[in-house]
Amino acid sequence: MSVVARPQATDPRAGGGWGSALTIAMRCVLILIGIGVAIQTFIVVEARPQDLITGIHGMADLIWRAIPPDFSKLPAAFWPTLQTVDIALFGTLVGIIIALPLALLAAANMTPSRFAYYAARGIIGFTRAVPDLVWALLFVTAVGLGPFPGGLALGVHSVGMLGRLFAETIEQMDMAPIHALQLTGARRLQVFGHGIIPTILPSLLGISLYRLDENIRSSLVLGFVGAGGIGFQLLTAMNLFQYQEVSLLLIIIFVVVLTAERISAALRERLA
Amino acid sequence: MLRVRGLSLRYPNGKLALLDFALTVEAGELVVVLGGNGSGKSTLLKCITRTLKPNAGEIWLGNTNLCVLEGEKLRRARLELAMIWQQASLVRRSSVLTNVATGALGRHSTLRTVFGGLPQSELAAARGYLGDVGLTDLAAQRAGTLSGGQAQRVAIARSLAQRPRVLLADEPVASLDPEASEDIMRLLQRLARSERLAVLCVLHQVELAYSYADRVIGIRDGRIAFDLPRAEVSRDAVRRLYISEAA
Repeated sequence: MSVVARPQATDPRAGGGWGSALTIAMRCVLILIGIGVAIQTFIVVEARPQDLITGIHGMADLIWRAIPPDFSKLPAAFWPTLQTVDIALFGTLVGIIIALPLALLAAANMTPSRFAYYAARGIIGFTRAVPDLVWALLFVTAVGLGPFPGGLALGVHSVGMLGRLFAETIEQMDMAPIHALQLTGARRLQVFGHGIIPTILPSLLGISLYRLDENIRSSLVLGFVGAGGIGFQLLTAMNLFQYQEVSLLLIIIFVVVLTAERISAALRERLA
Repeated sequence: MLRVRGLSLRYPNGKLALLDFALTVEAGELVVVLGGNGSGKSTLLKCITRTLKPNAGEIWLGNTNLCVLEGEKLRRARLELAMIWQQASLVRRSSVLTNVATGALGRHSTLRTVFGGLPQSELAAARGYLGDVGLTDLAAQRAGTLSGGQAQRVAIARSLAQRPRVLLADEPVASLDPEASEDIMRLLQRLARSERLAVLCVLHQVELAYSYADRVIGIRDGRIAFDLPRAEVSRDAVRRLYISEAA
């Protein structure tokens, strides 16, 4: 019996003729669409690179006036810095406390009913969809200026972010040990405490630390809408043209963000 | 100890899984169930644990009919009924000792065990059960670091911590090498004798059944093909269980 070599479907020569021409045409269209999308972004954002070049003197003047940083303001910057970190910590803690039970309801493998599932998913989706800046404006209106509305804003927004990730972690959990514990006659809370929590805790802590890292960055920005912390200090210094204080605050922000990022990364690495 | 009478189960799609099934496992006895894929072996165990609710029949554990129990009464009845699977199903990040002790969770109050941790008495007992399966040295090790054979031994120790009267095993050696498989079967046989456990074990390895079972039950298409002492089970009868599946 002779063996005849047949062209494979993956052989580029196999799809000659119209098929090949169509593929090339499709690729050309996709490339043109890509170029079109890139060009329209330049038009929509009114990009004028020449303005950047002509305006460089203004930027240089600003930087010149910001040097050297005014280190005499360092003691005064301590409290707003602490506020910024604590706004993030508060927001993350509030987020975790509310997100964990919501995530259990929003996880398909844990939820007690379809209604609870959709209700929890709805709350998580809504709190995530509204930006933290909008939440901050709402809470500033409700409870006034200061760090408290900032903490609340980050807390509510974190419910959405953490709730979704917690729920996904729970859904991806290995259910075999959980079923094994259920069959030993353990009660629901016992299965939760001794089966579910030890299984997912490292992931939950990792996600929470990442969220804390994000919240520290966010809490800086929230200060711009009156939610306290070093962001508020920065806005005030800029409005008063105190550029040397601005540069000091920017150094502090850089150190805080970098430290938080390194601590969070190191802790997550240990938990992995 | 464990008596099953007239057990029948038909799945919602109309497929018959078990029909008029009956068996008895006495304390101290190791009974092996043999049968092809889809013959109803695992379904039988799921019905006994009441993971599946049979359409008809009775499952007696001592003087308790499991088929009529629900909720808290069923949970309490399950304390007497331990189960091990093909995979050990341990909490990988918890220690071996903790995994074993969690077998006794259902015997203690929820608040105490959730907020106060596992009772010291149970941890001490768990060390004893680990000794029974020959793994005392690994008590502090994380369960996720164990080999397949070690993990299965820990799962058996956890089932002992439950202090059951009946031990069900669903293909407990399916993922183990021949030496580890022999070890586990020897252990189950020893525990049946020393702890007076009624052990019902589903297997695919016919030779292990011939070596360790007191009695062998053949199951085909959800019905009992034979239920005989090991010495009376012919090779032909076993072969027919699997020929039927191929046909």
